[in-house]
Amino acid sequence: MSRDGPTVGGGVAGGRAAADDRLGWLFDPRLLTVAAGSLALVVLAGLAQVSFGAYSMTVGQAWRAVLDPAVLLDPRWLLNFLVGEELMRAITGFRGELPELARETLVVWSIRLPRVLVGAIVGMNLAVSGAIFQAVTRNELASPFILGVSSGAGLMILLTLVVFGGLSAFLPIIAAVGGSVAFLIVYAIAWKNGTSPVRLVLAGVIVGTVFNSLQTGLFFFADDIGVVQSAIQWTTGSLTGTDWEQVRTALPWTLVALTLSLAGSRQLNLLLLGEQTAKSLGMSIERVRFGLSGVAVLAAAASIAVAGIVSFVGLIVPHVVRNLVGSDYKRVIVGCLFVGPALMVGADVGARLGMSVLTGADAQIPVGIVTGLVGGPYFLYLMRRQRNVGDL
Amino acid sequence: MAIERANATERDESSGPSETKRSGGTDAAETDASDLDGEDLVLAYPEAPEPVIDGESIAAEPGAVTALVGPNGSGKSTLLKGLANQLAPDDGSVLLDGRDVRSMDTKALARKLGLLSQESTSPDSITVEDLVYHGRYPHRGFFERTTEADARAVERAIELAGCGHLRDREVGSLSGGQKQLAWIALVLAQDTDVLLLDEPTTFLDLHHQMEVMEIIETLRSESEVTVVVVLHDIEQAARLADRVVALKDGEVRARGPPEEVVTEELLSEVFRVDADVVDTDRGPRVTPLRARHEE
Repeated sequence: MSRDGPTVGGGVAGGRAAADDRLGWLFDPRLLTVAAGSLALVVLAGLAQVSFGAYSMTVGQAWRAVLDPAVLLDPRWLLNFLVGEELMRAITGFRGELPELARETLVVWSIRLPRVLVGAIVGMNLAVSGAIFQAVTRNELASPFILGVSSGAGLMILLTLVVFGGLSAFLPIIAAVGGSVAFLIVYAIAWKNGTSPVRLVLAGVIVGTVFNSLQTGLFFFADDIGVVQSAIQWTTGSLTGTDWEQVRTALPWTLVALTLSLAGSRQLNLLLLGEQTAKSLGMSIERVRFGLSGVAVLAAAASIAVAGIVSFVGLIVPHVVRNLVGSDYKRVIVGCLFVGPALMVGADVGARLGMSVLTGADAQIPVGIVTGLVGGPYFLYLMRRQRNVGDL
Repeated sequence: MAIERANATERDESSGPSETKRSGGTDAAETDASDLDGEDLVLAYPEAPEPVIDGESIAAEPGAVTALVGPNGSGKSTLLKGLANQLAPDDGSVLLDGRDVRSMDTKALARKLGLLSQESTSPDSITVEDLVYHGRYPHRGFFERTTEADARAVERAIELAGCGHLRDREVGSLSGGQKQLAWIALVLAQDTDVLLLDEPTTFLDLHHQMEVMEIIETLRSESEVTVVVVLHDIEQAARLADRVVALKDGEVRARGPPEEVVTEELLSEVFRVDADVVDTDRGPRVTPLRARHEE
């Protein structure tokens, strides 16, 4: 801009400050486009999910079932789904039988819709978790699982299934705890008068390798093939059989993690300027790095707890979002909240319905396989297009 | 971009960069600028066996410009890092207005002391204005948004650094010199009493070297900020600084006003060159003749 005279320049000092307060950055056209496009994708994929399956209905029927006023306008039913029957009765004081629903509505609301919701929640969590890890390690190739989270969770899942079979009811919590513990081990290994992004990534790879070997070793102790199959479901990530129960498990943690990550976006932006600058601007860098990593682990754990270890979402989504909305982390996080669910819900359509379309068999595959199949080639494409993948 | 242009309404508070003349020595006693004292500093890197700086003291005159000069590897950048609390001293202490910087809260310290590092990285797609706003980080609480004071400080910094024409450009699209101006604007927006600059003119073309020097001269004539600057170019140092400190092998070899420090003897002893030094009204002029080879 010209600075040729003291009167030049519209607006007043503080115009930007006011815009900032009004969340002006949210109304960035690129961000709005990304959000709208992703929402459209989620709605389309969600409609496909609720329409097709063992009990097939037309899209119109499915649409009507989703918007059935018997559920939407009845807080008892809504609460029944969202917080569970007991809490619903405690909140509303309702004692009787819930009014009956149409068959379509029941299928959609109690079986198919929760799966879409879980997919969306998992997508958000993984995307935000990946975005945070990429800023904290200043490495575009970082993902929720680079810092040992996935190997720790996977090892605990296998240990539970193979050795402590009695505890499998607590599998989600155990998996999340395993992921968090592995992350703490990684952090401890990387610590030497403070950490550095490179040391964190290296320690993550080391811990991951050791834990993966232990996992493979454990397979030999499994007595029957069923245990192995269920273990593989967990370690590749799957939404099969997810229910309102899973929504209830993940939602509170998701809200906490996402709020914290939005609050931390300014710190993330500063981390992108490099350790030295962040430090000279007065950031207590170790505390911030550890805290933000904790938020990312929480988000990843929430998704592991309900869907197992879904690969590539946490790696790809932040990438896509950054390419679309720029590097400002406020926008990146918000973008991840939309693009993550779009990828996850979309991929789950393929996981749930793909096999029956392709082979006619009534089988589902873990969604992690689909995200891997989609994510791998996309990443290759990125590598070819950008000369320096890896620099943030 | 949804960010409104925010040009400062009050531009009269500083006389602007056009009026930068040598003020002929600053009256240090009169200013309320901060002083920065490094006392008996022993600075070492964890991986190196020997300390780089082994027990040196350095005092930055309040409101004046102190230049650190010396050959490559003489420890001037290390000393600056020590002063900036980026490198914890093994022994000795750094006092900012009499308080040990290590006892200060990191943000409180960053409100008083700013550092421009030699190399800085940023995402390519950030705009200059957004970059400069990061300089306000220490002035903001964890959840606080930018205030009018922030906007004013950023305006002043952008104007002082002369990068108003760049404010909407993405940092990745700038030349090295333009980038340096943007980074200088960031540390100026930090609005500190003490400013430490690590080789701010190295690798810049002549025009941008002069731009940077003019910024420092403006700070010097305002006498509100205590500046310590590491410079490669001894002539620049002589021209810019009120005091020059010459280092070699981690030891202070000379300190004082430029006329006393920048001499033929010093150049031969510290920089290992034979040179002609002529006093001019713009300070000593140095003409290097040949490198000295040790026998």
